[in-house]
Amino acid sequence: MRKKAYRPDVDVPEWKGRYVPYDIIKEGTIALVVVAILTVALAVVFSSPDEKAITIKTWSNADPIDFAKTAVSELDGTSGVAHYGAPYNHGGPAQGLGFLSPEKWVGVRIAINTATDFVLNPLEAQPTQPALHAALTQWASASSTTQSSWTSAYASADAKMTFTGDHVNVPTHAAGPVPVLINDLTMMARSGALDQALVTQNGFYTTNYTKPLLFLSDGTYLAGLANKQHLGGDQWGMMNETGSWPGQAWLWLYTFWYQVSPYNSSKSGDFMVFGTMMVLTALLVAVPFIPGLRSVPRRIKIYRLIWREHYRESED
Amino acid sequence: MAQGWGLGALINLNHYGHYLQWHVFSISVANLLVIIVMIATFVAALVAPFPGRRNRKGPQ
Repeated sequence: MRKKAYRPDVDVPEWKGRYVPYDIIKEGTIALVVVAILTVALAVVFSSPDEKAITIKTWSNADPIDFAKTAVSELDGTSGVAHYGAPYNHGGPAQGLGFLSPEKWVGVRIAINTATDFVLNPLEAQPTQPALHAALTQWASASSTTQSSWTSAYASADAKMTFTGDHVNVPTHAAGPVPVLINDLTMMARSGALDQALVTQNGFYTTNYTKPLLFLSDGTYLAGLANKQHLGGDQWGMMNETGSWPGQAWLWLYTFWYQVSPYNSSKSGDFMVFGTMMVLTALLVAVPFIPGLRSVPRRIKIYRLIWREHYRESED
Repeated sequence: MAQGWGLGALINLNHYGHYLQWHVFSISVANLLVIIVMIATFVAALVAPFPGRRNRKGPQ
């Protein structure tokens, strides 16, 4: 029978030396106790991040003008969410690369019409108020062209928007019912009622915060807070934490791609980063099968440093 | 900051962090310290002798 050639990267020679006992239970117990002590000690010394949740109520009280401007963009369909595309709507191009476009394949799974879901439905759920009811009726009975002219008039004057005495003021008389709608939505938001109206009830527990989070993401308030904490996508934010605590340093490679071209300028940046990381992950999994790469541990000889006493004795 | 049983952290980290920037690279000082500690632990694991090594004879 022909003897198979020895391949140093994949073949393991049979161990012919003696064996020594090894207590894995003892080592595991020691590791568990050490880690538990370290965990408690570090928690006592440094505590942990516990940022208060940011809600629409927080936002509209801290920056009512930013909220009102965002609400208009939701009403006229010019916001980021309105133009996002799948899975929320058909408002924008899906991310993809060539024929690969998972967002298109999955389609609209969480249908969101920003005007209806973020503005009109919550206002309609308010207790009857004559002025608001009249404004909603006027909006509903107008053509889409008229609605656009109202929101355009409001948006073009919103640079001069002020907030005084619990009222949003915009110097325009051509915006139809929009000033009433936006003012009432702002008041609703400041009271906390809009948060409740946007949370989707999926049963006893209310855990679906998709709509309030999307609404928040369209404004500049949340992004401003995130940027102050270096949590922005272009600030390596994925590996950072609030405050001065260490973050997720192991995500360095994921967030690295978002800092360089073409990932940071492409509209399909997320998909390209995902694809790149999947290719690199496949390469990592396949290391034992890649000639050259699989030889790196054998060639750099760190194992000889770990088992130096064994090799010293063998050489003696 | 979490303050269970009315206790605060001995070292307050609840303030904006410090960041180091070099070209497109940016890292928080906290993350850098953790990475340095991890590398130091790795090097220590390589060069430190196995506990109890002197008391028994290893594989031959």
